[in-house]
Amino acid sequence: MIILGEKSKNDPSAVLYHRCTIDLDTQTITFEDLPCRNLEDVMGGFGRSFQVLAERKIENAYCRENPLIVNTGLLTGTSVMTGLRAYFSAYSPLKQSGKGLPAAMWSAGSGNFGNKLKWTGIDEVIFENCSRSPVYAVLREGELGPLVELIPADHLLGLSGHEKIMSLQKDYSNAHFAAIGPAGENYQSVYMGAVILSTDNQLKSGEPKNRFAGRGGMGSMMGYKNLLAIVAQSSDKPGKITPAMRDVNHDVLKNGGSARFQPVSQGGGGGTWANIEVLQAFHAVPMNNFRPKGNDDVEQQFRDHVEKDFEVVSEGCYRCGIRCHNNLFNRNPDGSRGPLAAKYDFEPLILFGSNLGLYDAAQTCELIHLCDQLGMDAISLGATLSYVLDYNERHPEKPLFNGATFGQFDAIRALMEETGRGEREEIGKGVKRLSEQLGETSYAVHVKGLELPAYLPETNPGYIFAIAGGHMSMGTHMLLAKEGKCSVEEWVQVITTQGLLQVGYDMLGLCKFVGVGMGHDLIVRATREATGLEFTSAEIVAAVRRAYLRGLALELRQGFEDAEYTLPAQIIDSPNPNVTLPNFITAEFIAQLKLRVWSVFLPEMEGLLPDLD
Amino acid sequence: MQVTVKLVASFRLKWFKEATQDYPHGVEILDIVNEIGIPVNELGIVLINGHHASLKDKLQDGDTVSLMPLIGGG
Ligand code: SF4
Repeated sequence: MIILGEKSKNDPSAVLYHRCTIDLDTQTITFEDLPCRNLEDVMGGFGRSFQVLAERKIENAYCRENPLIVNTGLLTGTSVMTGLRAYFSAYSPLKQSGKGLPAAMWSAGSGNFGNKLKWTGIDEVIFENCSRSPVYAVLREGELGPLVELIPADHLLGLSGHEKIMSLQKDYSNAHFAAIGPAGENYQSVYMGAVILSTDNQLKSGEPKNRFAGRGGMGSMMGYKNLLAIVAQSSDKPGKITPAMRDVNHDVLKNGGSARFQPVSQGGGGGTWANIEVLQAFHAVPMNNFRPKGNDDVEQQFRDHVEKDFEVVSEGCYRCGIRCHNNLFNRNPDGSRGPLAAKYDFEPLILFGSNLGLYDAAQTCELIHLCDQLGMDAISLGATLSYVLDYNERHPEKPLFNGATFGQFDAIRALMEETGRGEREEIGKGVKRLSEQLGETSYAVHVKGLELPAYLPETNPGYIFAIAGGHMSMGTHMLLAKEGKCSVEEWVQVITTQGLLQVGYDMLGLCKFVGVGMGHDLIVRATREATGLEFTSAEIVAAVRRAYLRGLALELRQGFEDAEYTLPAQIIDSPNPNVTLPNFITAEFIAQLKLRVWSVFLPEMEGLLPDLD
Repeated sequence: MQVTVKLVASFRLKWFKEATQDYPHGVEILDIVNEIGIPVNELGIVLINGHHASLKDKLQDGDTVSLMPLIGGG
């Protein structure tokens, strides 16, 4: 980014961002420096990419006019801790309105790809059209500015994301990578393909320690465009650590909300894994397709149980002291550390564990690993598989596919493998389509076509107003367990204020695990120290709010109707008596909540989208 | 009076899982938290008999207090 002049430290139009447009069909590459239209453009991530998407009328995700936008946040590639995020945005093949129009989506991932992309000098890449044959894109810093090449990639076809990355690494030193797996290549039957991002730990160890931009099928979009990987090659330019920046990073580690994600050995909470134990205290851990049974089975997935069989190692991304990754390693017969089994974080371990009726950590590891190798979104795949198992349990006389039901590891594994290879399109296209096809939608756990993460729908009416990932774009998923709030007033308040501000992290380039609100002084200080820009908390909060509301306005423009703003019907028709948290969501509650939230949002949404007619 | 204290997740690993002890009448949850040595800024959820409570709530004979660390998703 270029900031014009000293006096314009809080004038968005004085900030230029460097865009590279790559036409994959004609192989034409153009660069331009564009002035930011507003603070959302300056902050970046989905705040900028959604303004590009809003300029296009897209009726089918797999059409040549649907761009794939890869960008970074303002603080990506700076020395602010966790400033590593890369974003992938497009109209989604997976999330679709009842009218059949694709929703705008973004997905975010860490690792070191975002840094390297930023350090090439490119703030945003727009991939237009589709390549006629498989290619990968190389973005590199050059003496006179960034350079871009498209290179034939037939030799990468069929490889897992990890294998593609390790293969490319041989040819590109000092680079990081974004790749797809077989699922993304099979985009026609898999709409939940993920983008796989390399990490320093992966490249050094050769082990598949990736991060993922999984939500919404951005890997499938890459597959549709015949773009198998992106290489970002540059020298490292993390920026100076001034005393003030040291203070910012100290606060990220010590005074923000990140302690809960730090390793237990460092005095932290041990990452998201700890959530299982807290939610189990309320019997609110998803089991058997989001229907906890009120028993103690999930205790087998508690950290100290799993540690009996595996070595748990806390690792982190490049220069991040939070080190939130819990990697499980097998133990060799002599007790020493063996090969990596899987990354063991809350979402995948629940969605490929208790929610499929599996409690053996070794089996869960195998499924997590397989999903990662195939390159699918763990949340979408997990929630769709659990639906299939549930359906089969309800219809033993006429089950689907191989008849798999809860706890049947081998049959579940086979379904996963077949899905990733493009042989089970009914699963690969997500739970909304499958459940509508079968005429049994009440226990399909999604909102607006995007499968829900591993927090029960009956605990979070905020999901209704999430505009991308259910828990990543509305920060309300733990509110009931944390505070016991269950009145309409309280939920309206949180959804329309701090809940939506969570998406600000997906503009700035930071991880949500920093754990402070967007209005926190830490955000202002981090921005100032890293960029010299002087935006106030109020300006940042207002920009994040506009960006969120623009996303909601885009949903409406893509045909989402009032009836789609709801939760899976089962939680209202048949509340689960085993969950000990208050059961407060009724049809009336949802109706009231929507009425009041829309009355706040709708007036503010006016004028946020360009007129396309 | 007797109060049962249950600790969850990292608190359980650091201190104990469950203990029933005598406490003076009128004891507040905060007194127990301080006695155990749990930093207040690490406390996420406090329950009395399964219901959300605050640190200043007073306990009755036979109550069960659950103390849990801060949690967050992703
Ligand atoms: S918080 Fe976790 S995912 Fe985010 S940068 Fe740090 S180690 Fe990586």
